[in-house]
Amino acid sequence: MSDLAKEKAARLLKKRGSVSSIGSHDFKARETAKFKDSISTLSYIDEPGHHDDNTRTAVQMENTYQLAPYQRFPVVTVNEILKDVLTNYLQEEHYEAELCRQMTKTISEVIKARVKELMVPRYKIIVLISIGQLSDQNMRVGSRCLWDASNDTFSSYAFKNSSLFALANVYAVYFE
Amino acid sequence: MEEYNAGEEVSFNADEASVTVKECIEGIIGGLDYNQNKVNQWTASIVEHSLTQLVKQGKPFKFIVNCAIMQKSGAGLHTANSCYWDTATDGSCTVRWENRTMYCVVSVFAVAVTC
Repeated sequence: MSDLAKEKAARLLKKRGSVSSIGSHDFKARETAKFKDSISTLSYIDEPGHHDDNTRTAVQMENTYQLAPYQRFPVVTVNEILKDVLTNYLQEEHYEAELCRQMTKTISEVIKARVKELMVPRYKIIVLISIGQLSDQNMRVGSRCLWDASNDTFSSYAFKNSSLFALANVYAVYFE
Repeated sequence: MEEYNAGEEVSFNADEASVTVKECIEGIIGGLDYNQNKVNQWTASIVEHSLTQLVKQGKPFKFIVNCAIMQKSGAGLHTANSCYWDTATDGSCTVRWENRTMYCVVSVFAVAVTC
């Protein structure tokens, strides 16, 4: 019995040891492996306020007998939200490391809050924001999703001004 | 009828996923320099390959894999994500990889499927 408790405590500690903030700059390099000419770092995302929730076992949901969502995810509305938020926050801004670091985190929280306000039932939301400096470089972003194509969907918007670019992706996954 | 799943939910294992993804990246762009003509192909292969490997683990999850490849030129890039889900069962992990000429950032999000 005490072994089980010790194992659980060790597991919890390990999870807490890999905490990193929601944003990108506080990555705790959990593991760095140096190959011949490449470096890779792994980082996990852990929310500081949710350790207690992680210890409970997943709740077994009762059968709803629902075959499909009653309300589908409003892609067009969300597109408007993304355009609105990105333009309002970034139209006048110039790229600066500290400002954009904070901005990515703030914008992702703001977009999540506004999409939640739409109150689309039984949908889980993932918001992904990238803000980068415009210079001579080239960049390619791609994503693939394994999900139920009839119910799940995504929305995307790219914004650009004279010194920076911003990309916002929102994925909506139906909770069966 | 035999149940494929034992009936208990497993939470997302970020360690295993990140190892899988790192191997995929290494296999596809390890040792190569940034090439404008090929980068489209690379992002597509990295996401598809990672997705197939993740699915092979046989866990009951829906996956979203996002990959960004950027040429190294001194410019800065910030990425953030915010998720509204069940923290007990769902999870994500991000792998940053770089070599002499480019950066590659791959994010994997896993949402549990109830059986």
